[in-house]
Amino acid sequence: MNYTKQIQDIASQLFAEGKIDVFVGYRLNGFDDNQVPVLIKDPQDVHKLVFTDKSVFNLVNYLKTDHTRRKRVGLVVKGCDSRSLNLMLTENQVKRENIYVVGICCEGVTDDAGQKMQNCVDCMVPDAVVSDELLGTASGADTLTYKMNADVAALSNIPLTERAAYFEEVFENCIRCNACRHSCPLCYCAKCCIDQETATLYNGANTTSAAFHALMTWSLHLAGRCVDCRNCEKACPSHLPLHLLHKQNESVIFENFQEHLAGVIPEDRGAFYKYSLKDPDDFIM
Amino acid sequence: MSFSTFVTDKAGLQKFYEAIMASQETYAPVEKFGKFDFKRVSALAECDPESPIAKTMSIKPLFFPRTAKVMKFVATSAGTDVSEVDEDPLAVKRVILGVKHCDARSLQVLDKVYNWDYIDTDYQNRRQNTVIISTRCDKADTHCFCTSLDYDVENLDAMDILVVHGTDGKEYIKARTEKGNELLSSDVTRHASPVTEEITAPVLKSQYASFAASFRLKMNYKEVNEKLSKIFDTPEFENVSGNCVSCNTCAFVCPTCHCFKISDEKIKDTGVRYKSYDSCNNGYFTLMAGGHNPRPAKYRRWRQRAMHKFVYYKERFGENLCVGCGKCTISCPVNISIFEVVNQVSAAAMQE
Repeated sequence: MNYTKQIQDIASQLFAEGKIDVFVGYRLNGFDDNQVPVLIKDPQDVHKLVFTDKSVFNLVNYLKTDHTRRKRVGLVVKGCDSRSLNLMLTENQVKRENIYVVGICCEGVTDDAGQKMQNCVDCMVPDAVVSDELLGTASGADTLTYKMNADVAALSNIPLTERAAYFEEVFENCIRCNACRHSCPLCYCAKCCIDQETATLYNGANTTSAAFHALMTWSLHLAGRCVDCRNCEKACPSHLPLHLLHKQNESVIFENFQEHLAGVIPEDRGAFYKYSLKDPDDFIM
Repeated sequence: MSFSTFVTDKAGLQKFYEAIMASQETYAPVEKFGKFDFKRVSALAECDPESPIAKTMSIKPLFFPRTAKVMKFVATSAGTDVSEVDEDPLAVKRVILGVKHCDARSLQVLDKVYNWDYIDTDYQNRRQNTVIISTRCDKADTHCFCTSLDYDVENLDAMDILVVHGTDGKEYIKARTEKGNELLSSDVTRHASPVTEEITAPVLKSQYASFAASFRLKMNYKEVNEKLSKIFDTPEFENVSGNCVSCNTCAFVCPTCHCFKISDEKIKDTGVRYKSYDSCNNGYFTLMAGGHNPRPAKYRRWRQRAMHKFVYYKERFGENLCVGCGKCTISCPVNISIFEVVNQVSAAAMQE
């Protein structure tokens, strides 16, 4: 997967036509094949842009920063990224006319070891669902079959007490840096409930209970919205398996809320807005 | 005065570590979720003193914990009763194994700030009661640049005991301080034999030479420090900070970042006050009670971080705050390298 040339051409053309103020893409880090997101403002820097299977980070995150706010932005999105962009549009965080979207029909990105990332193996929507220009060959699949995450499936088979013990370990190893929340493209709240020092429940202390509250609240706010781009896991300095929380939520929501998958359909308001009288309520005591 | 040095083989070094674990309260890198963090251990099988530098957290939390209780309080009808917290679990006599040189150095740097205006007695107690055993790396990692900075890595005296994997296949254990010498003179070294300075010096030198030659990153520290101190207003900071997502993880994994915040955990009338890590990259870090924020823009916060590491601390305390361990770069979700940033900014300033 290499769309470096195409993306450079598109970006130069957009700058030449005066359609954008800033182009958000990837550049090489200068010594190995790992990449760094780059915000290009000067058309002369367009040659820095690359796109390969090492273009891992979800760039929709940059739509929440001052560098792109109220500006016309060119943006590269893979399948999962485009779903988060869809949600940003639906939730009125960005205006569609301000963004020129270069969509990628993604074949999966690789981690540091060169292995295909787990979320790419489980990917259900590899092609960008929102784009002005689509690069690559669309996978062409019309119907969506849910792929259960192997880790979640394995965890749900072990007894509840063991599962609780496992998650206790996860929360114990959390260092409360909140990098997961900041690197998430859909955590755009200017003042998040989990990183306020004054709120009693989610205080900044790094105790297991505070970590539990913070991570659980965070994952529930992303229930039915998480697109499994794994920005949070890339950011976590403790390498915590945060996808377990999100993928568990995702599978429950897919099963119970009319096969809802976050951000796939434009203007889809999400699971929490999809109230129906047929919704299961047998879990309510 | 000269301190003792011992020589042994690989198995002897393991026995040395095991003997320490049997007789002392020991902390060492323990793997969890693929990342090593320093935890209390009782057997060598639980930990890995040779943990890879890229996957190891710093030892800072053992001296400046991620969260520490400051006090307890109870609200009564007569007012508020404030009480001391329980005994500090980190202030007991202990040994830390598998410490990297950069980590050991970071404590030396932090000592300055903790011995300055306000003397942090908790930190002092933890420092005094700890013996640090530091192993010299054999090879630099991708993001390491400790040899480029303002301290002498070869003759570093920040650890109490130095362990070097000699180029001759032997293991050298060398005391660097009185505390370290005392530990080595006990029977923990029964599987090693004493050796003289004449024999160890050339081996240590050749080991250091091969280690120093393995660095990818090299910078002219003097030049970078000098230039940065003159270019506060350069627009280059805006360019280099553009792709930062302000996730703050760099500060949390940094062995020398020492900013903290205070928060209260309250249940009805009782509560605990906590001191926890904070980061100058946080948008609200400088937010004042009246609502004014002197560093509202990301590039200002980034400038503060880079300048504090490479200029301000040096001006005030005579040491560079960055120790070149590369932990921030490894943890950064968008692969921003502080090495690249300071070099890029100072190079751009030269062109102006």
